[in-house]
Amino acid sequence: MALVIDGLTKQFGTVQALDGVSFAVEPGGICGFLGANGAGKTTTMRIVLGFLRPDAGTVTWNERDVRDWPRRTWGYMPEERGLYLRMSVLEQLVFFGSLYGLSRGQARKVALEWLSRFRIADAADRRAESLSKGNQQKVQFIATVLHDPDVLLMDEPFVGLDPINVALLKDAFLDLRDKGKTLVFSTHQLDQAEELCDSVAIIDHGRIVTAGPTREVKRSTGHQVVRVTTSTDGDLDWLRSLPHVTVTRPGLDYTEVRIDAGADAQDVLRAAIARGDDVLRFEVADPSLEEIFVERVGALDVEERTLAAVEGGS
Amino acid sequence: MTDLGNIAAVARREYTTRVRTRSFIFGTLILLVAVVAITFAPIIIRALAQNDAQRIAVRVAAADVQGDPVATLSALLNATTETGSATPDTKADFVVTAVPDLDAARQAVVAGSLTAVLAIDRAADGELRFTLYTNDSATRPTAGTIRQASTAIAVADRLARLGVAPAEQAGLFAPTRFGVEWPDPARTGPTRGTTEVIGQDMLSFGMTILIFMMIILYGTWIAMSVVEEKSSRVMEVILNAATPFQLLTGKVLGVGSVALTQYVALLLVGGAAMLAEGAVADAVLGETGGAALPEGLTIGLLLLFGLYGILGFLLFAVLYAGAASLVSRQEDVNSIVMPMTLVATAGYLVGVYAAIGLLDIRAGWLVVMSQVPFLSPFMMLGRITAGEAVAWEIVLSVVLLILAIVGALWLAARIYAAGVLLYGQRPGARAIWRLVRSET
Repeated sequence: MALVIDGLTKQFGTVQALDGVSFAVEPGGICGFLGANGAGKTTTMRIVLGFLRPDAGTVTWNERDVRDWPRRTWGYMPEERGLYLRMSVLEQLVFFGSLYGLSRGQARKVALEWLSRFRIADAADRRAESLSKGNQQKVQFIATVLHDPDVLLMDEPFVGLDPINVALLKDAFLDLRDKGKTLVFSTHQLDQAEELCDSVAIIDHGRIVTAGPTREVKRSTGHQVVRVTTSTDGDLDWLRSLPHVTVTRPGLDYTEVRIDAGADAQDVLRAAIARGDDVLRFEVADPSLEEIFVERVGALDVEERTLAAVEGGS
Repeated sequence: MTDLGNIAAVARREYTTRVRTRSFIFGTLILLVAVVAITFAPIIIRALAQNDAQRIAVRVAAADVQGDPVATLSALLNATTETGSATPDTKADFVVTAVPDLDAARQAVVAGSLTAVLAIDRAADGELRFTLYTNDSATRPTAGTIRQASTAIAVADRLARLGVAPAEQAGLFAPTRFGVEWPDPARTGPTRGTTEVIGQDMLSFGMTILIFMMIILYGTWIAMSVVEEKSSRVMEVILNAATPFQLLTGKVLGVGSVALTQYVALLLVGGAAMLAEGAVADAVLGETGGAALPEGLTIGLLLLFGLYGILGFLLFAVLYAGAASLVSRQEDVNSIVMPMTLVATAGYLVGVYAAIGLLDIRAGWLVVMSQVPFLSPFMMLGRITAGEAVAWEIVLSVVLLILAIVGALWLAARIYAAGVLLYGQRPGARAIWRLVRSET
């Protein structure tokens, strides 16, 4: 009972877009699909939705090939906004709904509910082109969920939203998850993924670097992070001299260090006390997703991969 | 969902969003006004021409000219402009008068109060000599008719000088007994008159133009609409809900219905205008016009026009849609649909030339071409109105058209499925073929 992506490969001309992509998403969860531009996120999503055929590999939902499920099982939000600019918002939502087999009346009712939930009820009769980018994006999201799909795949759903709308969308995500829907979304904002996702999959150059429940992924390196503040602020040499410790983020408020796998984080506390300092703050944590990502893939957005052009988007 | 449900939803969207646009409403209104104007154009022209009859003066300097030159000229000039239906109370288009003074008459032509002066005198060898003084071109029909009348007057004069009495001359000029019969002995119906043939030629000519316009105009609409969905990325959203086949079919049917709406409106208004022509001519010109629907316009022919129009449109429209899916910018639409436009134009030109008699409509190559699916919509109507196409030929061409549409739909849906997600580079012919084959 899950969305299982198994061994996908896809080549565009000479570019190997996907090279054995495998991961699974448990139903009723939110999965973050993370990767740099051109890493293969959009291609993977398009294969899951059946737009593209993989050269090899399968995708199944509840043990049946994704292509065998009715279309209303799937909701898709492409990265680039796709709306009929000269059609009214409500009209096109009704059209999208009717393509999934909703009656026009039903589609209208659900669309209006979502529009008012997203505080754009007054935009129902306006042309899509007259809406701001953020509002267009919310309409796009409504088009994705209108027909109550079991699985939602969303490409960068948070891009271009202001903090209030981000909160509205996050809220909607959690609601859908609580109703048992399965959500997969790609994002560049790793803090958002960390906050929302039950599981993550990190893709790089067409290969899955790491995937699994968020907590496990964060622990997968074996590193731990310690945030420490002592009374002798500013003097970091004692920290740098400790074995298995790397200062990753010196700061006024606190200093963050990375503890190598297998080392004991408590050694830092013991060393501080041994120095006679007052320890004002001492916190042991798993590394953030961003740290995992940087460690596994390198910095986000360091380079636009050539694949971005081939995929036609990201 | 079902194929039909999604096709209907796509077609419905295409239709409703298009017929509501201002450009469609105004475009249709302008076309309707144009149709009415064209229908009434002959009446309007005649009503305008009625008030300024052309005045032609005749100065006879030669003595003993046989007959009345003025009457001969007047009869010939006025006969050509109004074949058959001239009634005594109709105002003549040409007023011919005799004048005594040539110089004064020439002055009047210069001043514009006369159109022309015809001077008749006798040369030294006894022959009549005619001189036309006019600002008009010598090749104009009026000048031609005057030349014809002059010849008639000269021949009568020569006969009189040879000693043939006027009564005997009448016998000489009596019409020859000449008949036209069908070559097939089994065929006994009346042969077709010239005016009837011209009427039918114009009918198939007009219908072929309408079919061509429908294919080019609405085919381009479909191509534009495909590219619009692609460039606005709506394609990705609807592709999740509907198959490329459903999208393609719905789009073609939706835009086709828009075309049909416009054409039915045009035909209804045009037909009503033709029926009203007689009554309007009555009121405006004060004459009883014999205007009705054009000769040879039967229900059967109208149905065949509709059939070839719709089938031809479907064939080209699915290919326009398939081709347009390969490009992602509006600027590239014209070049990608160019091959189909060229085929349509070639079929249209050959069809029209054959319909109006510039090409022999019975030629073997033309008969073969008229069965080719991409050309038959432009060529069969001409052959049908000319009475050259027998029933099985019509049936065969329709069957071939339908088969071609099925094939085109299959091909276009594949190109569409592969093309709609292609952005950026335009694929070459080889790449298209690979895409078509890979979409199994």
